[in-house]
Amino acid sequence: MDYILEGFREALKLLISFDKEVYDIITLSLFVSTTATIIASLICIPLGIHLGLKEFKGKRAFSRILYTSMSVPSVIVGLVVAIALSRRGPLGGLNLLYTPKAMIIAQTLLVTPLILGLTYSLSKNRGKEIEKVGTSLGAGRGDIIVLTIKELKLDLLVNVVTAFSRAISEVGAVMIVGGNIKNRTRVITTTISMMNSMGDYPMAIALGLVLLLMSFVINSLIYTYSGED
Amino acid sequence: MEISVVNLKKYYGEKQVLDIEELTIEKGKITGLIGPNGSGKSTLMNIISGIDLDFFGTIRYDGKPLDRSIYMNMTLVFQKPYLFRRRVYENIEYPLKVRGMDKGERIKKVENIIKRFEIEELREKKAHRLSGGESQKVSLARALIFEPKLLLLDEPTSNIDPESIKIMEREILRFNQETKGTVLIVTHNIEQSKRLCHNIIYLENGKVGYLE
Ligand SMILES: Nc1ncnc2c1ncn2[C@@H]1O[C@H](COP(=O)(O)OP(=O)(O)OP(=O)(O)O)[C@@H](O)[C@H]1O
Ligand SMILES: [Mg+2]
Repeated sequence: MDYILEGFREALKLLISFDKEVYDIITLSLFVSTTATIIASLICIPLGIHLGLKEFKGKRAFSRILYTSMSVPSVIVGLVVAIALSRRGPLGGLNLLYTPKAMIIAQTLLVTPLILGLTYSLSKNRGKEIEKVGTSLGAGRGDIIVLTIKELKLDLLVNVVTAFSRAISEVGAVMIVGGNIKNRTRVITTTISMMNSMGDYPMAIALGLVLLLMSFVINSLIYTYSGED
Repeated sequence: MEISVVNLKKYYGEKQVLDIEELTIEKGKITGLIGPNGSGKSTLMNIISGIDLDFFGTIRYDGKPLDRSIYMNMTLVFQKPYLFRRRVYENIEYPLKVRGMDKGERIKKVENIIKRFEIEELREKKAHRLSGGESQKVSLARALIFEPKLLLLDEPTSNIDPESIKIMEREILRFNQETKGTVLIVTHNIEQSKRLCHNIIYLENGKVGYLE
C-alpha cells in the first residue's frame, strides 16, 4: 500500500513544482488533440450537415458505413498513417513520421468519422425543420448550413468535445506514428503507458490525474453552458 | 403571383392525401383554404411553398415552374411556428439578411413592423422562449417583412387572443392592399374567412370544391 501513497505524493510534487518534463508532455497532448479536433471539425461539421439534409441514392448504406467507421480502432488509424508516412510509403518524402505533425494527422483521421457521424445524425434528425423554415424565408444552400450550425451549436459543441476527449485519451495512434520519443513526441497517454511498464508510477499518476481533471473540467463546462440556454 | 395547380397527386406511402385536377389561386387576392382536420390543407401548403417536392403533377407560378427567384418571392408561415434560437429582433431581420439588404435599411424595416405588430416588449427576448401565440405573431411579422409576392399562411391565428387577432388580420389585409401580394390562408374560423377572404376553397379528403 505504501508505494501507492508514495506514488501519489511524488505525483503531486511533480505537478505543484511545475516539473518541466511533465508540463511539456501536457502541452504537447493538448496541442496535438486540439489541432486535430479543430481541423476535423472545420471540415466535418459543414459536410455532415450538408449530407444529413441532402437526399441521395444509397443514403441508408452510407449511414451504416459512416456509423460503423465512427468506432475505428486507433491502432488501425495509427498503422495506416505510419505506413503512408514511412520512408518507403507514398508520403515518405515528407519526412513526417515520429513528429507531432504525424500525430496530428493520425488524430485528425481518427476523429473525422466521429465528428462527421455525430453531425450527420444530428442534422438528419433535427436539421430538416430548420432547412424548411430557412428555405421558406429565402435562404440558399450556404445560408442553410450556417443557420443549422447556429441553431444546433450546443449539440455540435458537445460532439466536438466528445471527439476531443477521444483524441486526448487514445494511445494507439499517437504511439505508432509518434514513437513516444522523449522531449519530442511524448504525450500524456503514451507516457503513462511507458512509465507503467517501467514501474515508474509517480509521473504516470501525475499525468493520469491531469487527464481526469481535464475531462472533468470540460464536462462541467458543457453542462453549465447547456443549462444556461 | 398567380398559382395554378394541375393534376396534383400526393401520397404518403400507399395512402393518397391529395388529388386535385385543377386549382387556381387568384393573383392579388386573399384566398381562404378550409376543410376538416386531415383533409390535406397543410400538405397542399407545403407543396405550393416548394418545401415538399415529393408529389405528382404540375404547379406554375405566374405561368412559370418553380425556380430560385420564385423561392425568394414567397413564404410559408407554418402551422407550428419555428423561430430561431436568437432574439425576436434577429428572427424578424433574417429574411432581409439573406437577401443582402444593408443594415440601415434592415433596422428601419424591422422597427417599423415591430411597431405595427405592437410587439415592442418582445423585441429583445429569446424567440425560443416565447409562448405559442407570441411565436405565431413573430412568425407572421418575419414573413411579411420582405413583402413576398405570395404569402402562405397555415392557421396563423390558431393560438391568438382576440386583441392580437385584430392586429394580425389588419396586417394581412394591409399587406394585400398595399403590395397587391397574393395570400392563401388556412383557417377553421368561418368568421375570419369572411373578414379576410375574397375567395374560399374547400378541401375534403384531398379533393377540392369551390364555395361562394
Ligand atoms: N409526414 C406524414 N407522413 C404520413 N402521413 C402524413 C404526414 N403528414 C400528414 N400526413 C397525413 O396526411 C393527411 C393530411 O394531413 P394534413 O396535415 O395536410 O391535414 P390538414 O388538413 O392540415 O389537417 P389540420 O386541420 O389538422 O391541420 C392526414 O391524414 C395526415 O395523417
Ligand atoms: Mg394542417
